[in-house]
Amino acid sequence: MDVNTRQDKIETLLKEVAKCRSCRFCVDVCPTYQASEGLESMSAYGRLQIIKYLLMGVLSFDDPLTYTLYSCLQCRRCENICKSKGQNIDICSIIQLGRSLLSRELLEGSGHEKI
Amino acid sequence: MDLDLKKLTKDLVKIVGKENAFTDKPTALTYAKDTMPWDVEEHNMPYAVVRPSNSQEIAHVLRYANEKKIPVHTHGSGTSLVGLGRPKTHCIVLDTGRMKELEVFPERGYFEVGAGYHIAKLRKALEPYNALLPAFPGSELVATIGGVVSVNTSAHAVDASLFKPGDYVLGMEVVLPTGEILQTGTESPRKPAGIEATKFLVGSEGLLCVICKIRMRLIPLPQIQNIVAYYNSTDDILDTVMNMYSQGIPTPMFFEYLDEKSSKVGFEAVGLEPPPGAVAMMAMHSQTKAGCEEKAKIFLEFLQSGHPIEAKIVTDKKEWNQIWSSRAEAGNYLYRLGSTFGSEITVRADKLKEAFHEAQDIILNLDSYKGNEFYSFGHIGAPTIHAYAFIPTKDIPNETKIAVAKEVREKTEALNIKYGGCGGEWGLTAQRATFLKRKYGEAYYDLLVKLKNALDPNNILNRGNLEGWM
Repeated sequence: MDVNTRQDKIETLLKEVAKCRSCRFCVDVCPTYQASEGLESMSAYGRLQIIKYLLMGVLSFDDPLTYTLYSCLQCRRCENICKSKGQNIDICSIIQLGRSLLSRELLEGSGHEKI
Repeated sequence: MDLDLKKLTKDLVKIVGKENAFTDKPTALTYAKDTMPWDVEEHNMPYAVVRPSNSQEIAHVLRYANEKKIPVHTHGSGTSLVGLGRPKTHCIVLDTGRMKELEVFPERGYFEVGAGYHIAKLRKALEPYNALLPAFPGSELVATIGGVVSVNTSAHAVDASLFKPGDYVLGMEVVLPTGEILQTGTESPRKPAGIEATKFLVGSEGLLCVICKIRMRLIPLPQIQNIVAYYNSTDDILDTVMNMYSQGIPTPMFFEYLDEKSSKVGFEAVGLEPPPGAVAMMAMHSQTKAGCEEKAKIFLEFLQSGHPIEAKIVTDKKEWNQIWSSRAEAGNYLYRLGSTFGSEITVRADKLKEAFHEAQDIILNLDSYKGNEFYSFGHIGAPTIHAYAFIPTKDIPNETKIAVAKEVREKTEALNIKYGGCGGEWGLTAQRATFLKRKYGEAYYDLLVKLKNALDPNNILNRGNLEGWM
């Protein structure tokens, strides 16, 4: 995904995340989901939903959200299963873009006191 | 409800430990969503997610919830297709994901498994015991055995051949909404006759109890022979299914199909040449190899009455895997190409063709969207008609998605009533509360409400499902 501006990033993210049908096929292959004994917010599916609702204004940047996004190992196992089950979403790229937005918020000091 | 979140967090941490109680919004949100096109709204947001490890902790959570009058929503994997998986109100989500213990007792003829065990992993774990797991949801990679038994879905299997998973459940450990832990059923291969709690707690969709542990019969893995049949049109397959039932032909364990359009999508997805028309796939089963071969041979002869272009037994494993996968992949790839809106119509065997064509007309003449396409695939031998409205883009407003989903549901469920069906595998409450009233009448619905009230006087468990939410 070749995007340069913040608005482009947001639009790209929302468009990509809209492809997810919440089938959750990706959760079980995620190493952080496994390490957390199956906590859905620690899976690829969970991260996609969190990014979507962050962009929609339902969620705001906070410690749990930061931890969730930055704990992704970018191993792309979720993408393999997503591809094999038909959706082919660039999950890791979306999470990277989500992190990039988060970094900008942090640099601008958006009230995230604990970081 | 005015709720002190800090106090709730503290109380839940005391019950399940700080590693297993979450009140942060991102975690709550991921448990609020299911496959329906509705976005999560404020009223869907759970207060908390708890992840108990055993029945005692669940009992403690439920007693606490009753005392505080806080609803509890049980979560297996959230893959139910008709809204069961989505909290309808602020609540504590009770995630069964940590309850994954498995003990196999070949000498007793059963296994005991925690509700959170994923189906695909359970199937693999039973392989060394040469045992069949009688549950075949399309979401088996992540669906849980607790969810399957809770809905009592045979999913892709033909009921006339394999019955329902609940028929193989010998007993359960459950927690009632008021916190009592019950052991039901038997440890004997002989199931109890007469009134016995397992029978009405299986399939109760999380309304009457939380299923914690399931004792299930070890079923010897049957021999299988696979058949593929290619047809000019779907009508030939519908005739074949109707004849199968009317002539009393022994039914296959699976009888799947792809209509003329779906077959092209599915075959292309797995790298096969597109077939000329519709395709049916059948798995014939029997306990012995000779019996299985004989059954497949008889079925192959029977299939000729439906005028297939070609029908054959497939013994090559690789070839069969490709053909079989095309059915599952048709749905997945269709979704990639656009937006799909499904329905589930289970009709009288002798009305299959009539109902199919009415469903086709409904889908092609929607009021909420013009220009959609019709696709159908699935478990036609069960018989189940999955009639799909397909819109070849994802770029449609959410309100339109909701309108199409509602219209497809309402109109196709009218077919279930007209032709003697009940919906089938996707569960009966949540999205279908109004359907229950229309089909069975107010007295029947009131009976369910009374049953719910008797076991769950404060309406703690899965609130909003029996009330209906669409």
